[in-house]
Amino acid sequence: MNRRDFIKAGAAGAALLGAGCDKVRAKLGDWLGGGGIPDAFQIAAGAETDDRFHLLNRAAFGPWPGDLERVSKLGADGWIEEQLNPDGIDDLACNLRANGFDSIGVGAGDMYEFEKAQIERDLTRYTVLRAVYSKRQLFEVMVEFWTDHFNIHIGKSECAWLKTPDDRETIRRHALGRFRDLVRASALSPAMLVYLDGRENKKASAEEKPNENYARELLELHTLGVRGGYTQRDVMEVARCLTGWGCRHKGQWMKAKVEFHPGEHDDGEKTVLGHRIPAGLKEQDLERVLDIVCGHASTARYIAEKLCRRFVSDDPPKSAVEKVAQAFAGSNGDIRDVLRALLKSDEFKASKGRKLKRPFRFVVSALRAVGADTNASPGLLRYLGAMGQAPFQHPTPDGYPDEAMPWLGTLLWRWNFALALLTGSIGGTSVKLAELAKAMGAPAGDPTPFFLRHLMGREGLPVEKEAVAAYLAASPLADWNKKQEAVGLILASPGFQRC
Amino acid sequence: MILTRRNFLRVVFDTNAARPAKDTLVCIFLRGGADGLNMVVPFLEKPYYRLRPTLGVARPDQPGGKTINLDGKFALNPALAPMKELWDEKVLAVVHAVGSDDQTRSHFEAQDLMERAVSLETGVSGGWLARHLQLRPAEARTPLMAVGLGPTLPESLRGAPVAMALESFDEFHLGRNATSQAALSAALDRLYGQADADLSRAGKQSLEVLGTLERMRGETYVPAGGAKYPEGEYGESLLSVARLIKAGVGLEAACVDLGGWDTHFGQAVQFDRLQSDLASGLAAFRRDLGDHLSHTTVVVMTEFGRRAYENTAFGTDHGRASVMYVMGGAVNGGRVVTDWPGMEEGQLEDPGDLRVTIDYRDVLAEVLSKRQAQANLAAVFPGHEVKTRGVMR
Repeated sequence: MNRRDFIKAGAAGAALLGAGCDKVRAKLGDWLGGGGIPDAFQIAAGAETDDRFHLLNRAAFGPWPGDLERVSKLGADGWIEEQLNPDGIDDLACNLRANGFDSIGVGAGDMYEFEKAQIERDLTRYTVLRAVYSKRQLFEVMVEFWTDHFNIHIGKSECAWLKTPDDRETIRRHALGRFRDLVRASALSPAMLVYLDGRENKKASAEEKPNENYARELLELHTLGVRGGYTQRDVMEVARCLTGWGCRHKGQWMKAKVEFHPGEHDDGEKTVLGHRIPAGLKEQDLERVLDIVCGHASTARYIAEKLCRRFVSDDPPKSAVEKVAQAFAGSNGDIRDVLRALLKSDEFKASKGRKLKRPFRFVVSALRAVGADTNASPGLLRYLGAMGQAPFQHPTPDGYPDEAMPWLGTLLWRWNFALALLTGSIGGTSVKLAELAKAMGAPAGDPTPFFLRHLMGREGLPVEKEAVAAYLAASPLADWNKKQEAVGLILASPGFQRC
Repeated sequence: MILTRRNFLRVVFDTNAARPAKDTLVCIFLRGGADGLNMVVPFLEKPYYRLRPTLGVARPDQPGGKTINLDGKFALNPALAPMKELWDEKVLAVVHAVGSDDQTRSHFEAQDLMERAVSLETGVSGGWLARHLQLRPAEARTPLMAVGLGPTLPESLRGAPVAMALESFDEFHLGRNATSQAALSAALDRLYGQADADLSRAGKQSLEVLGTLERMRGETYVPAGGAKYPEGEYGESLLSVARLIKAGVGLEAACVDLGGWDTHFGQAVQFDRLQSDLASGLAAFRRDLGDHLSHTTVVVMTEFGRRAYENTAFGTDHGRASVMYVMGGAVNGGRVVTDWPGMEEGQLEDPGDLRVTIDYRDVLAEVLSKRQAQANLAAVFPGHEVKTRGVMR
C-alpha cells in the first residue's frame, strides 16, 4: 500500500464516519494532508505591506500561517503559476473537511431527495470550508468571483435544488477555464434556466412572445456590460435564438434534465449585434450567439474592468483595464491568461490596501490568519447573514456589490465576530492562540507586536501599537484572556478591514 | 434662533433630541401570505359565506357572531379584538383588496417584489426602504437610522447606507465584561480615529451604536401604560423598536417580521393565534409609545392574500389581494380604505382570487411623502404612478 492508496482508504473511511465526525476528519486531514498550523512560520517585517502578503490578500483569501514562505519558495510568479493549475495541488485536508455533506456531489435530478434547508446549509458550509481550507486559493477566489458574476439566488423557486449542481458543473468546472465554456455552461445550467426564466422562453405559436429575461442579463451582466453597445433589438433577437431550451420541472420524469425542443424554437433568421444568423440552425443558434457575445470587444473590456474592480481597486486605473482586456481578447477568453496579466501588472502591485474586504472575505481571512479550526456550523454562518453576505443569498442577478460603500455599515458585526472568534464564543470554531504565538516566535510577555506583523503584513503602525498597549493596560482580565481579546482587537481594527 | 443650514441640520438630526423631527416608519411583514378576507371580513358579500362554508367568519349581527363591525361593510375578526381600541382612537386604518402585481403566487417572488418594490427586469436593485434612505446626505445619516429586527437584514433594507440587523440589545458585547468592553471601545476609537475618511466615519458611528446599546442594556425597561407585549420574537422586536424610538436615537426605519401565515390546512388553529399576536402586539406598541405615536407610523403588509374559496383541508391556498394596516398619529384612522372589487363570479380573478385594486406602493408612497423628509417617490418607486388613497392625514 503506497501513500496514495493509503490516503484514498483514509478518505473513504473518513467519509464512512459521516458528517457527525467533523473532528476526526479534520484531524485526519491535518495529519495526512498537511493542514493545521506549521510548527514555525515567518511573519512580515518592514514598514510597508509585504508584497507576498498583498498577493495572498487578493489572489487568496489572505495568508494561512506559513503561506509567506510558500510564496518565497516558489517566487510570486511561481506561486501564481502553481495556483493557476489547481489540479496539481493536493487538497486532501480541505476535501476531508468540506466534502462530507450529504447533498454535495449529488446529480441534479437526485437533489430533489433533499430538503431545501439542508441543501442550503450544506452548500453554504461547503463553500465557506473550501474558502478557508483549500490550498487552491486562487481557484476559490475565482469561484467567489464567478458566483457573483453568474449570480443565482438559492431562494428562488427550484434554485435551491439546482444551485449545488450549478456550483459544481458551471462555476467550479470552468472557474479557471475558457470564458466561452463558462458562459455556455451557465446558459444551459438548470439553475440558470430557472432563475432567469430561460425555460419559459418559448415560441410555440405565432402569438407567443419570447421571454427576454435571460437574454437581457446575458448581454447586460454576463458579457457585454450595460454600456456594451447592444440595443433592445439585440436583446429580443438573442431571446429568439434561445427559444426552445428548457429544463424539466420538479415532479416531472427526469426532472432538471436540460433539453432543446425544436417545436418551441423560433427558427427564423435573426440578426445579433450586426451578425446575421440564418434560419434553420435550431439549437446551433446558441453556439452562434455565444461566439458573437463572448468574442465581442465590449465583453473583453467589461470582464477586465470587473476583474480589476475586484482585484485592484473600486475605481481601477484605465491602464490596468486595458492590459487585462488585451489579455482577454488575445487569448480568446482564457481566464488563466487574463489572471496572469492582472496579477503581474504594476497596477495590481501598487494597489496595497485599496480594497475594503467584503464580509465574506473578512470572515474567511480572519479564520485563515489565525489557523482556526471550524466546521462552519450555523454559529459561524450567522455572522455572514447578519452582515448581509451569506453565500447564494443575493436576490438580484447582479451579485453582491464589489464597492466598499454598501458594506461600511457592517463594522459592528465585524468587531463582534473578531472578539467572539478569539474568545471562543463561536460554536464549532476554535483558535489555538498559544500554538500560533509560539510558531511565529512571539515573546511570551507581550506577543501583540508579532500578531500585528502577522495580521497586517507589516510592522504595526504607531497608533496600532499604542491602541493595543492601552487596551492591555486598561483591561482587567486575566493575562491570557487579555491576549485573546487583544488579538481580536487587531482583527477588528481598520487595517484588517482592508486588503 | 435663526435657522442657518448648519443649525437646521443640527435641529433635524440631533440624535440626542428628546423628540426626533422625522417620523419613525415601522414595517411589519406578515410572511407566508396572510388571509385578508378572514382578518377583515366583507360580511355583506354572500359569495364569501358560500365559498368558505367552514372557514367563513360569522356576520356581526348573526346570533353568536363575534366579529366586530367596523363600518357596516367590514368586520374585524374576533381574534383581532385588541385592534378595536386603535380603530376607535382613529389611529388605525385598514386598506383592503390591496397587493402587488405579482402573478406568480410564489412566496419568495412575491415577498421579494414587495420588498424591492420593482420587478427584477427593471435592473433597479436594492430594497425600497434602502432607496429611500440612500437619498439622505452622508452628514444626515445616523448610525441607528435603520434596523432590521432579526438575524439578517430584510430585503427592503438591502443596499441602505446604514442599516443593521439586530436581534436583541444583548448580542453586541465586545469583551468578556463591561470594563474590558470599555477598554476595547477606547482602543477602537483611537484606531478608527486615524483611519481613512470612510472607515473613520463608519467606526465612529458604530461606536455610538455600541454605546447606545450598552446604555440601554443597563437600564431596566418597563413598557409604559401597562403595555403587555405578546411572548415571542415578534413581541420582543416591537418592544425593542419602542425602546429605540423613545430613546431618541434617530431611528427612521425598523423592520419586524411575523411569520407563519401560510395556512394551507387547518387554518383556524394557527390563524387565530397569529392574529392574536399581531393585534395584541400593535395595541401594546401603541400604549407603550404614548405621545411618541405622533411621530411614528406602522405599516403592516403581506406578500399576498388567500384564495376566496377554502380548500378540502380546511385551509386556503395562495391568492392575490389582502389587507394592509396603517397605524400612527398622522393616520386618517377609523376607516377602511378600499376600492372593493366584489366577490361574485366574474369579479374574482382566476382561479378564484380577490382582485388587487389598490397597489401597495400607493400606501407606502403616501406614508413616505406625508411623514418623511426628502421623500423622492420617483426614485423609491421607479415606474409606478402613485395614486393618493387618503390613508394619511
